[in-house]
Amino acid sequence: MSEERLWKFRKPEWMNSSMARSAGVYGAGALFSLAFFILLDASVFSHSPLNGSDPPIHIRFIDWLPLIFSALGMLIINSIEKTRLSADSFSYSGSGVAWKARVVLFLGFASLAGGMAGGVTVLVLKYIVAGAVWPTLYMGVANVLANGLVMLSSVVLWVSQNMEDEYSYNLSL
Amino acid sequence: MMTAGLKTIISLSFVLAVGFLLVILSCALFQQYLPLLVVATYILAPLPNWICGRCANPDDFGDSGGANAIVDFGKFCTGFLVVMGIALPAVLAHSEIIRVPAMVMSIIGGVLIYGTIISFGMFFQEEQEF
Repeated sequence: MSEERLWKFRKPEWMNSSMARSAGVYGAGALFSLAFFILLDASVFSHSPLNGSDPPIHIRFIDWLPLIFSALGMLIINSIEKTRLSADSFSYSGSGVAWKARVVLFLGFASLAGGMAGGVTVLVLKYIVAGAVWPTLYMGVANVLANGLVMLSSVVLWVSQNMEDEYSYNLSL
Repeated sequence: MMTAGLKTIISLSFVLAVGFLLVILSCALFQQYLPLLVVATYILAPLPNWICGRCANPDDFGDSGGANAIVDFGKFCTGFLVVMGIALPAVLAHSEIIRVPAMVMSIIGGVLIYGTIISFGMFFQEEQEF
């Protein structure tokens, strides 16, 4: 396995333990929860008496749409069986499983990136163009922040799942 | 052995009572009973882990994915619920539905309750090993 190493720095030992893997999964859940509650906080804030924007700006379904797309993309990405991605190089796989996996994975990443882009779009079109100042601008910033956190959570979950594969691979040898 | 277990149980129940006291105080002092949701959250938090742990068979390593995906899903849900217990009072306090002291009290109480549940589970597992 060390022969196939590409990078100069080797992976630290603790990264392959099962404890680090479950910590990664817990952390991914925590990050996703943080993302959801930041947007929920913005929504609650916008309907509370503290929201003093003069032409009233409220969080509507439009603001939730990027987070829905991000979460959908995260669901798709992490539902894919990672070993199928390189399945074409093995003979046991059926016809074009890797192709299907790559297409679905592409859709997932597109949805995730689309969610992020949608968050920035909502921030610019709904808040910056309308000339909102800080307490109102927070609702737009929270949107971008939530989508970024979903992306980060997705990355953490992906990395820890890949870690798991190598861990069980080491055990089975 | 017996007395040590008894001491642990007594101190854990004491901590649990203090946690409940803090949460109920944070509600009753300000006549706003929404922070009670924290207790429900923390009681629900270990459940996905336990349920999904039952569903999976830890013995089969050959078939990666499958069983482990269920365990990972349970851990994901547990992580979600734990942060929810902290985020919920913060959200309520940010919109001034509850006051900041109520937020602090309910967060500390929730952490105490969840710590009790977790450490009770850990002591229980340790006894099962023999």
